[in-house]
Amino acid sequence: MIAFGCAITEEEPYWRYTEPGIRRAAEEDSEVYVFAAIGSTARSYNLLIDHAAARDDLEALVIVDAHAEIADPDFCAKVRQAVADPDVGVAGCAGARGACTIAWWEGEVVSAPVTLGYQEFGGGRIPAFDWANPAPAPGEVDAVAGFLMVLSPWAVRNLRFDEELLLGPGTEVDFCRTVQEAGRKVAVADLHVVFHDSVELLSEREREVWMQAHAQVARKWEPRLTGVDSADVDWKARARRAEAERESARAASYARGLMTDAHLVELEREMEKITSTASWRWTEPLRVLNAWRAERDAERSARPRSAP
Amino acid sequence: MIAFGSPITKPDVYDLCAAPGLRLSAEPGSEVIAMPAQGSIFRSYNALLDRAAELDDLEAMVIVHQDTEIVDPDFCAKARRALEDPEVGVAGCVGAVGVRSIAWWEGSVALASFIHRYPEHGGGDLPAFAWEWADAPPYARTGEVDTVDGFLLVIAPWVVRNIRFDESLGRFHGYDFDFCLQVREAGRKVVTTDLRAIHHHSLDLVSDPEEWIQAHMRVAEKWDGRMPEVGWYAGTWEERARLAEAETDFHRAKGYTAQQELAARVQQAERELVVMKTSISWRITAPLRLLSWLTAPFRRLGRPAGGTR
Repeated sequence: MIAFGCAITEEEPYWRYTEPGIRRAAEEDSEVYVFAAIGSTARSYNLLIDHAAARDDLEALVIVDAHAEIADPDFCAKVRQAVADPDVGVAGCAGARGACTIAWWEGEVVSAPVTLGYQEFGGGRIPAFDWANPAPAPGEVDAVAGFLMVLSPWAVRNLRFDEELLLGPGTEVDFCRTVQEAGRKVAVADLHVVFHDSVELLSEREREVWMQAHAQVARKWEPRLTGVDSADVDWKARARRAEAERESARAASYARGLMTDAHLVELEREMEKITSTASWRWTEPLRVLNAWRAERDAERSARPRSAP
Repeated sequence: MIAFGSPITKPDVYDLCAAPGLRLSAEPGSEVIAMPAQGSIFRSYNALLDRAAELDDLEAMVIVHQDTEIVDPDFCAKARRALEDPEVGVAGCVGAVGVRSIAWWEGSVALASFIHRYPEHGGGDLPAFAWEWADAPPYARTGEVDTVDGFLLVIAPWVVRNIRFDESLGRFHGYDFDFCLQVREAGRKVVTTDLRAIHHHSLDLVSDPEEWIQAHMRVAEKWDGRMPEVGWYAGTWEERARLAEAETDFHRAKGYTAQQELAARVQQAERELVVMKTSISWRITAPLRLLSWLTAPFRRLGRPAGGTR
């Protein structure tokens, strides 16, 4: 039996995205665990795992974020395929090899056809990790994205998310490392998912928490992964390098913003070319009339119909 | 006499950008030293300073990048005014206070009276915040700063004769900040003044990140403990490293956001374009556009030579 789980922090996106996705993907005997989120992400996810662990016939637990929508008609078959290798502890729809920090996307990204459904700029959909030039799924990785995680029965029965990590960001990376430390694999499977989120990868609002989480996970895993005790690290040299890289990254990010603006100015110029033609100006009354008609039709259709 | 200098690696860029500016701003007696670049920018600038130091009647040495175009008809008068105070060693048109590294723009920028003219995407201008004084923010001001940007430097005669760019630091990055630190260490002031210029430059601000990072580290090591706050941030070395590593990833993510935002906006523009081009008005005026396109060559022929507007 393939189980699905979701810890809800916001109800509305669950009804809009997660619920229809699970409904499409779930099989007749699938169990769906839906709980209100409690405390940290780790604690909420452990609640889902505890429930799934009670099922003897569990084939996989799929943890879905409330903004993720499963869009794959063969989802369960692909999940079975992903966990068919008994060495696989966790799978996802996107992840990366060589992911050193909670910014897992800084590694070599592997991704299924994951789509980002955004609300800004009139809304729309774009490939979610195009900017990372991802390799296609499937593939073994070091960490997977947290918005959809498939846990094998072994992982469900033997591992838990670390509740000592009080900050939410990086929980998925931490869990993937726990899986690897236990000798199991982390993989990306060809699971089609739409992630409904902002085009903003990380917002200014979450900056402080995200950076604290970054340091928290690094402090936990670095000595274990590198075998170098924190006391033996040349922190001064590392700080110098990191501070230089930070400012280089900030300049590069600013430059990308400028590049975006320049590209948009170019687009606006092209639009301007069209709308400044004589024919466009002459036909303005037609467009006004058309807009008025569309508005009137919309109003009519919105008006409640009288009972027959 | 005010001397001008520019080290040249690309003569076509110099001819297009720096040369017209020097023609506009130089006075009849001005010396203009345009020489091929010599190795690093540090060495090239030193070569210019060496040449200028030989001029007995030197009032100021103005060094511009080959892609910097001075567009200020009162340039020499403003340069003289900036150096009136004998304590002023260097002046520029962009500068900041609270600067701790070669990323001077991470400090509090006090003045930026230039235009960044980029060639990408059909080209465009990005006027800096003090280009139009009427629109300038409340913190815009001329006066003493920690450092100025090196694309336009006005250097006092004392500095020309006593201070040199530190050639041990690398090839390009950080030369301006280090030079300003040396000037300040020697007891002179670094100031901004509203000299107007156009910097013809790509939107790619750090094209060789590794070299930039190395220069950043070298300058930080050189000045830490020697000049207050330079190369210093709060916390232990471990805390600083952890914080900076997190911030690096955060800023990279902001860069990816810009890419996603662009993709979303392009999609939006394309949708608008489709709406436009499928509208009845667009379709019924199609013959007009076709006619206009077909007759365009004849209309061009009918124009007097050179009479395009």
